[in-house]
Amino acid sequence: MSYSSRIFQSPEYVSFRCNVPLKQIVLDETGTNKGWRVYDTGPRSVETPLVFLHPVSGRAEVFFKQLLTLSSKGYRVISAENPPYWSVTEWCEGFMQLLDHMDIKQVHLFGASLGGFLAQKFVEFSTIVHQPRVISLFLCNSFTDTSIFKYKDAAVLFWILPAMVLRKMVLSNFASRETFYDTQIMDSIDFMVELIESLSQADLASRLTINCLNSRVNKSLMRGLKSVTLMDVFDDYALGSPIKENIYKEYPDAKLAQLKSGGNFPYLSRSDEVNLHLQIHLRKFNGTPYSANDNIPITE
Amino acid sequence: MATRKKVLLKVIILGDSSVGKTSLMNQYINKKFTNQYKATIGADFLTKEVMVDDRIVTLQIWDTAGQERFQSLGVAFYRGADCCVLVFDVASPGSFKSLDGWRDEFLIQASPSNPDHFPFVVLGNKADLENRTVSTKRAQQWCQNKNGLPYFETSAKEATNVDQAFITIARNALAQDTDVELYNDFPEQIKLSGSTENRSSGSDNCAC
Repeated sequence: MSYSSRIFQSPEYVSFRCNVPLKQIVLDETGTNKGWRVYDTGPRSVETPLVFLHPVSGRAEVFFKQLLTLSSKGYRVISAENPPYWSVTEWCEGFMQLLDHMDIKQVHLFGASLGGFLAQKFVEFSTIVHQPRVISLFLCNSFTDTSIFKYKDAAVLFWILPAMVLRKMVLSNFASRETFYDTQIMDSIDFMVELIESLSQADLASRLTINCLNSRVNKSLMRGLKSVTLMDVFDDYALGSPIKENIYKEYPDAKLAQLKSGGNFPYLSRSDEVNLHLQIHLRKFNGTPYSANDNIPITE
Repeated sequence: MATRKKVLLKVIILGDSSVGKTSLMNQYINKKFTNQYKATIGADFLTKEVMVDDRIVTLQIWDTAGQERFQSLGVAFYRGADCCVLVFDVASPGSFKSLDGWRDEFLIQASPSNPDHFPFVVLGNKADLENRTVSTKRAQQWCQNKNGLPYFETSAKEATNVDQAFITIARNALAQDTDVELYNDFPEQIKLSGSTENRSSGSDNCAC
């Protein structure tokens, strides 16, 4: 398959693909799943890396700009794309196995949209079944309750629908690229649209099922979180402002990394601002056992 | 525009180290002051929702490192700034002299579309100190020469004039933001065709 969008052809992306190896990590013995797709960048000596979790439509590649920039600043940053899992619990078990496999005991999580929802569920999950493993959360255009999605009644049937129909469902959530008049936002949409083409029916159906089956975050079950940053954009994106208000309410002490604009995928369209906010978010851990960076911080 | 969009206003505080940038921000947002000095590393920000002339706006106030060796985060925080606050210490003539440099620095890094009319607000901080060396008149003169910038004498320690200064900052930022919006609305109206090919690389299609 050939890709033609501007980001795919950018020297930055080409260099990323040439220099960072993609790992396929298969965890189940039956071999029916094709495994996690993982990019692991930055110093391996760091024990508490930042792990990126993609939205419904994304793949591990969507965070390449964060991986490139933050790894060059000494952060260990990982982007992880899951194989099809059909429930939140299955996903959490799978992610836990992945961390065990990679010998990572504690993490900082960045979650975009569905990735952010799953990140929060994983905080709960790890608190209940194990011990708290998530040090901090950075949620981007995310939500705390799946009941906001209109397809919730149909969710049980997604597994049967052809890929084309599922793709259409995802794409219908993208604001039309022409409404933005912003080259970088248009490029980010083009890139995501091309990535969706490369997703299988099982990928799409399982992600949409998790996204739309009724489930909500229960904050009282979360332990160990030391810091939360909420990022959202002030221009149009798929989730409206009541959802934003809900997540603000859920995390009253969170730092609000608000961007004036950026659309659905600010990590692509406003990468330097997102990278700045990520550094501010992670910087307070530098020099502590939870640092995602191997550099000695500047002190006075 | 029938419905008013929510507004995010970005404010950047610049000035020499230890003039009280972080203290001013903390006094305004958290109503707290500490005598203990801790240099800011890189940049940090706080947000606050405020009413400006019956409009709710979100102020995102960026506090930056005055010392160059702590400026480690690049310049992304300058992007899209709506107001720049220049701070000096009324007991430190050096910090007052630096204002020109900070103003230039901002104009270069943020490159606002209308540099001559970009809203700066000048704060002479530590006005509670006995040993002031920069007179009000001298500071006002400087502001006058720069197209009449608003000037406030503040004390982050005693919370003097801090709220008043930030109200002006928010109001001027909002005016700037609205200006930019009008600007940006313009090209949207004159969309010539659905084709996006000519969007940015017009020269490629030129036959001459």
